Amino acid sequence: MAVDSLALVQGTVNVLILKALTQGPMHGYGISKWIHDESTGALAVEDAALYQALHRLERKGLIESEWGVSDANRKAKFYTLTREGRKYLQAEVAALRRYMDALFKILQPA
Amino acid sequence: MNDSERLHRRRQFRFPWRSRRQVAEELEAELAFHIDASAADLVAKGWSDAAARSEAVRRFGDMDYTGAYCRREDARREQEKRRTTMLDELWQDLTFAFRSMRSSRGFTTAALLTLALGIGANTAVFSVVHGVLLDPLPFHDAGQLVRVFHAQPSSGNLRGAVSEPDFLDWRESSRTAASMGAYFFADGLSGVDLTGAGDPERLSAALVTDGFFQTLGTAAILGRTLATEEHLEGRNRVVVLSHGFWTRRFAADPSIVGRTIRLDGDPFEVAGVMPPGFTYPATQAIDVWIPLSNLGPEAIPRGRDVHFLSVVARLGPGVTAAQLHDEVGGLAARLSRQFVENAGWDGVTVVGLRDTIVGDVRRPLFVLSVAVALLLVIAGVNVASLLLARASGRQRELAVRAALGAGRGRIARQLLTESLTLAAIGGALGVALGQLGVRALLASGSDILPWAADIRLDGFVLTVALVTSLAVGLVFGLVPTMRATRDLDPTLRAGARGSVGSGQRVRSALVVCEVALAVMLVIGAGLVTKSFARLSAVDLGFRSQNALVATFSVGSSHQGEERLTYVESVLEAVRALPGVQAAGSIRDLPLLGNGEVNRPTVPGRSDALGEPPAVQVHHVSTDFFQAIGTPLKSGRSFSLMDRDGTPSVTVVNEEAARRLWPGQDAVGKTVLLGSTEVRVVGVVGDIRQRGVAEPVDPAMYLHLHQNFRNRISLVVRVTGDASSYAGLVRQAIWSKDPHQTITSVTMLDDVLGRVTARPRLLAWLLSVFGAVGLTLGVLGIFGVQAYAVNQRRQEIGVRVALGAPLRSVVLLIVGRGMLLAGAGLVLGLGGAALLAGSLRAVLFGIEPLDAWTFAQVSGALLGAALLASWLPARRGLAIDPVSALRYD
Repeated sequence: MAVDSLALVQGTVNVLILKALTQGPMHGYGISKWIHDESTGALAVEDAALYQALHRLERKGLIESEWGVSDANRKAKFYTLTREGRKYLQAEVAALRRYMDALFKILQPA
Repeated sequence: MNDSERLHRRRQFRFPWRSRRQVAEELEAELAFHIDASAADLVAKGWSDAAARSEAVRRFGDMDYTGAYCRREDARREQEKRRTTMLDELWQDLTFAFRSMRSSRGFTTAALLTLALGIGANTAVFSVVHGVLLDPLPFHDAGQLVRVFHAQPSSGNLRGAVSEPDFLDWRESSRTAASMGAYFFADGLSGVDLTGAGDPERLSAALVTDGFFQTLGTAAILGRTLATEEHLEGRNRVVVLSHGFWTRRFAADPSIVGRTIRLDGDPFEVAGVMPPGFTYPATQAIDVWIPLSNLGPEAIPRGRDVHFLSVVARLGPGVTAAQLHDEVGGLAARLSRQFVENAGWDGVTVVGLRDTIVGDVRRPLFVLSVAVALLLVIAGVNVASLLLARASGRQRELAVRAALGAGRGRIARQLLTESLTLAAIGGALGVALGQLGVRALLASGSDILPWAADIRLDGFVLTVALVTSLAVGLVFGLVPTMRATRDLDPTLRAGARGSVGSGQRVRSALVVCEVALAVMLVIGAGLVTKSFARLSAVDLGFRSQNALVATFSVGSSHQGEERLTYVESVLEAVRALPGVQAAGSIRDLPLLGNGEVNRPTVPGRSDALGEPPAVQVHHVSTDFFQAIGTPLKSGRSFSLMDRDGTPSVTVVNEEAARRLWPGQDAVGKTVLLGSTEVRVVGVVGDIRQRGVAEPVDPAMYLHLHQNFRNRISLVVRVTGDASSYAGLVRQAIWSKDPHQTITSVTMLDDVLGRVTARPRLLAWLLSVFGAVGLTLGVLGIFGVQAYAVNQRRQEIGVRVALGAPLRSVVLLIVGRGMLLAGAGLVLGLGGAALLAGSLRAVLFGIEPLDAWTFAQVSGALLGAALLASWLPARRGLAIDPVSALRYD
C-alpha cells in the first residue's frame, strides 16, 4: 500500500484481524481492506503476513473458516470469530491499553 | 445461492477431516481469490488487466513462503482435530456403552459372568501351562540336555536306573556326550540328617557324581559347585546348598561358604550355594547336593546288578539324541554280553530332559487346555447370542440413530465399543477369577505339578488374558454388529414386526454350536470322571484306611547288630501303644518306591519257560503284611527266628509265585539272589507297588534281620482315626533314640491320595468345566426359545384364537428347541469322537469311545434341552390371544 503507512508492531496483526472479525464473517481480502480503510490508510498489513496470521489463528482455535460466496458471487473462504477468539481479543486489547497508558504516562510530560 | 447450497450439501458428506491434497487445494483457491479481488479493485481504479494482476501479486509479498507456512499450520490443525474427534467419539461410545450396560442389567450380568467364567478358566489353566511347560528350564542351553535310562527290553523295562559301574563305563567311552553325570535322588526318601546348630532336621539331598553340575551347566551364585577331585574318597566331605535351604536355615548368610555343617554326624564343608530356581533333580524343593561317594557300598552295593542311578547327559556339539542313543545303546549291548549281571540290559532310552520332568503332566495339561478353550468359545458364542438378541431388541433405536444422521460405520463402531467394553470388563473379572483359580489349583495340586512355585499370573499371562478378552469381544461382537447395521432402513419402515427373520437364524446357528461344544466338553468330563472312579476302585492289595506311616532312616550312630535291636525296640514300643493292632516296616512304601530290582535264578526251571522275570526285592520287618493289610495266601510270614545265621528265607507275592513256578506250589522252593540261596516260606497277596494304574510286578520280600536296610517306612495299623496316633508314634520312636530324625508321618490314605491327586484333580476340573459348558449351552437354548416365543406372540395368539389345540402349539415350540439341541448333539458327538482319542493317555480302564458315556451324555443333554424348550413354551401358552393381537 502506501509507502507512508506505519509499520506494524509485532503481534498487533492478530489483534487487528480479530477486531475486524467482530464486524461479522469476512474473507482475507475483506479483512485487509477493512484494516486499511478503518485506519484511513495509516496502517497496512502485508498480505503475506495477514494470511499466515489467519491460518495460525485458525489452528489456535481463535477463528473458524467456512467456504461461502463473496459479493462478486465468487467462492471465497470466510472467517468468523470463535468464543475463544473474542475472549483473547478482549484480553489483548486490555493489555495493549495498559501498555500504552504506561508508555504515555512517561512520554506526555515532556 | 444455488452454488452455496450445493457446497453446503457437499460439506455434510465430507470426511470429518481433510486430506493433505484437499488442504493444499483449498489454500490455493483462497489465495487465488485474494489476488483476483485485489486485481479487480485495481482495475476499477483504472489499471490495465495485466498490470493490475502483477501489482496484486507484488503487494501480496512472499507467496511461496506464505503458502508453505499456511499448509503446515493447516496440516497441524487437521491432525489435532482428528485426534480430538476420535477421542471425543471414543468417550461418547464408552459412556454410551456404560449407560446401556447399566440400563439392561440382566443382559450385562449374564454376559459378564459368562465372559468371566470363560476367561477365568483360561487364565488359570494357561498360568499353569505357562509355568510348567513353556517357561525355560533353569539350565544353560537346556535343549541339549537328555536323560539316559538303562533298558531291559526283555522284561519291558525301558526306563531303568543305571548301576554305578555301567554309568562309569558309559561316561568313559561316550564320544557323543559332551558330558555326563549321575545322581541318586528320591523325593522325600534320599536324605541326610543335619545336626549341630539348631534343631536336628532331615534334609532332602541329592547324591551326585562328578559331571552332574558340569552337565547341567548352572553356576553357583555363591562359592562354587563340586570339583572333580572332591568326589574322591577322603576329600568328599563337601556340600552344595540350595538357595531355599540357605535362605531358610542360614538367613542367606554369604559367609556360609567355607564353613562346616554336620550331615549324618560328619563335618561337611560348604562349597557353594546354587541360584534360586535350581532344584534339580527335585521339582519342588531340595536342600543339599553331596558327592555320591559319601554313600558307602554298605548302604548301596555298587555291583552292576544294583540299578540306582539316574543319568543326565549333555549332547556334544552337532550331536543328536538319536546319535547318543545309538552310541550308548551299543555300549550297553556290549556290556550286557560281557557281564552276567547285565544280562538283558542291552539297550538305553534317551529322552529330552524337559520331557522327563513334565512328561506326565503334559497330557493332562493339554486336555485341560482344550477343555478351557472349548469353554471360552462356548462363552463367546453365548455372549454373541446375547448381543444378537439385544441388538434385535434395539433395532428401532439404531434405526432412529441412523435416520438422525449417524453413519453405518459410526453405529458399527458404537456397537463394537460396547462389546469390547463388555469383553474388557469380563476379562478383568476373569483375571480376578483366574487368580483365585490358580490359588485353588496350587492348593490342591502343588505336589503334583513340577515347578509349582513358578506358577503365577505374570505379565505374559496377563497379556494373553487381555488379548484373549479383546479378541473374544471383537470376534463375537462382530456378528451381531454386522447383522444389526445391515438392514437399518427397513426396520424403521416395517415397525416392530420386521425383526423376526434372519437374526433368529443366526442365533439358532450359534446355539447349535454352543450345544455341540458343550457336548464335547461333557463327554470328555464324563470319560475322565469314570476313569477316575475306576482308578479308585482298583484293588491295591492293601488297606489304606486306619493306617499311619512314619518314615525315617537309621543313622550312623547305630551300627552292626545294634541296628536290628534298635529297629526292633522301636517296633515294640509302637506295638505297645494302646489301640495299635499291628506295626511293621518296609524299605519302600507301596506306590512310593519299587524296592531293589533283581533277577533271581530259579534252579530246575525248565528252559521252555524262558528267563525268569526280574523281581522287586523288598526288605520288611515281622508283622509288615498284617500292618498293611495284605493277606497271607499260603505258608508263613517272617518271625524273629529268621535272622543272621539261620537259613535265608523269602515271602513272595502271588505274581512271583505264578511267574517263577507256574502251576506249582511256591512254598518250599528255592531261588538264587546273586549267590545267596533263599527258600520261599510263604506267599502273600499282590500289592500294587509301582502305582495304582500300573500292573503288579513279581515281588520277593526279605526279612530285615537277614538283609538290613537303613530306610524304614513304619506302617502302623490302628483302631479308629489314624491321624490321632501321629504324636504317639513319634514319641515311641524318640523314646528309643531322642536324636532320631523322622522324615515324615502321614496317613497311608494321604499317600494314596497324593498318588491319585492328579487324576482326581483332572476329573474334578473337567467336571466343573463340563457343568459350566452344559449350563451355558442349555441357557443358550432357553434364551433363544424364550425370545422366539416373545417374538411370535401374535402368531401364537392367532393360532390359539383360530382354535389350534394347545398341544400342537407346545409341540411346535418345543420341537423347534429340540431340533436345535439335536443338531448340536449330533455335531458334538462327532466332535467328541474325533477328540476323544487324545484322552487315551489320561484314561484308565475305559475306552475313549465308551458308548455308554456317549449315550448318557446324549440323554442328559436332551433332557436338559427339553426342559429349556418347554419352560418358554409354557409361557407361550399363557398368552392371551386378545392381548397378543392388540399388542403393538
